[in-house]
Amino acid sequence: MKVSKLVLSFLLSVSLFTQVLSAQIASTDSILGQSVSESSKDKLVQMISREDVSKRFQELGVDSKIIEARVASMTDEEASKIAYHIDTLPAGADAGMSIIGAIVFVFIVLLITDIVGVTKVFSFTKPINN
Amino acid sequence: MIISSGCAPKNPLPANNNYSSYKIDVPFVSPRSELCASTSIEMVSSYWKSITAYSPLLTLAELDERTLIPAKGGTLQIELIAAARADGLLVYPLEATFDALFSELSEHHPVIVLLNRSYSWYPLWHYAPITGYDAKAQTILMHFADTPNEAVPIGTFAALWERSGNWGVVLLPPGQLPASATPEKFLRSAYDLEKTGMTNEAIIAYKSALTRWSDDIPTLFALGNAYYNSHQISSAERVYREILLIDFKNPFALNNLADILCRTGRSDEALKLLEQIETDDIQMQSIIKATREEIDKGCAPFQ
Repeated sequence: MKVSKLVLSFLLSVSLFTQVLSAQIASTDSILGQSVSESSKDKLVQMISREDVSKRFQELGVDSKIIEARVASMTDEEASKIAYHIDTLPAGADAGMSIIGAIVFVFIVLLITDIVGVTKVFSFTKPINN
Repeated sequence: MIISSGCAPKNPLPANNNYSSYKIDVPFVSPRSELCASTSIEMVSSYWKSITAYSPLLTLAELDERTLIPAKGGTLQIELIAAARADGLLVYPLEATFDALFSELSEHHPVIVLLNRSYSWYPLWHYAPITGYDAKAQTILMHFADTPNEAVPIGTFAALWERSGNWGVVLLPPGQLPASATPEKFLRSAYDLEKTGMTNEAIIAYKSALTRWSDDIPTLFALGNAYYNSHQISSAERVYREILLIDFKNPFALNNLADILCRTGRSDEALKLLEQIETDDIQMQSIIKATREEIDKGCAPFQ
């Protein structure tokens, strides 16, 4: 993560400023048992994880015009979950496998079962136990 | 081994269950490659549009560009949730049980579920809205890919659903309440709307929660704060006072009401409120200290 010192100090000053403005109001987070007033460090970490998400989205081919709106529509917790786990989270796609995909898939399954020795579909395979 | 694991899936419902048949008229939208999340949101949002005053904030094309990650060829659960919120809907995470699912269906709330159509070692993830249940045939009805109201045997459905950890969400206009909601989980969903800039929708959701749980202090407090943050100060004051009628020592309401009183030229009353607060919470104590200092200095009036 490359963030220039200037940007860092700007973000810090912004987050400190907003914190001072709202210090005397207990936020809804406080009654939900979440941390009341986040430290400026927490806020910085959250901004950086949003930045991380934007960057990963760009790498994964998301149109850069819409990235900002997409990240802005996430809560802090959601953005940091994506920042940390994007490679392992499931992505719901659509219809099932294509016919070609299914044929290749069946071929591989039968190839493996041939090699293991529970089927004998292909003439070019030899079970590993023999 | 592979053949033996291919036995027919069992019916997961208890033998003496009394789930009845439901059919929800969810408009069908044809599937497009890789866009089942966006399509699912569109189907549910057009359902709500057809029976309530709700009007979607995003077009199908906007939902598409907010949900697809091209290199993954699909949509993350979090982004389905975030896009639905941006469309003006409240997203309630369904408790991972058939009881919760059927109680939503019984109130005609379509539920979007995540299914794995294959095994965990070769996952084929798919989002689809559930549109009903046929108790006689024991099938779940869902707009599955290109088939409207496809009847999926309950055992097959249970097997596919279990592979996502029974993940599902109820999407509702903010004036509606999920059948299976608890006050705290609903409040979190409504507060997520507020945190992502949908303050008006959040206020509607807090108010509808209060129609069911009228004395719920966290919900009242969230409503007061949402009014405060959107500069509806007299409404905020009224709600904080309502909390004190239920719990006259509530430190959150006392503090925030004191802030309003001080900023509207009633510092004496504000100080009296602060004196009533008893709290061990360190963060709360520091907020109260800040409010007290503010009062001593003279509070800045609202803009």
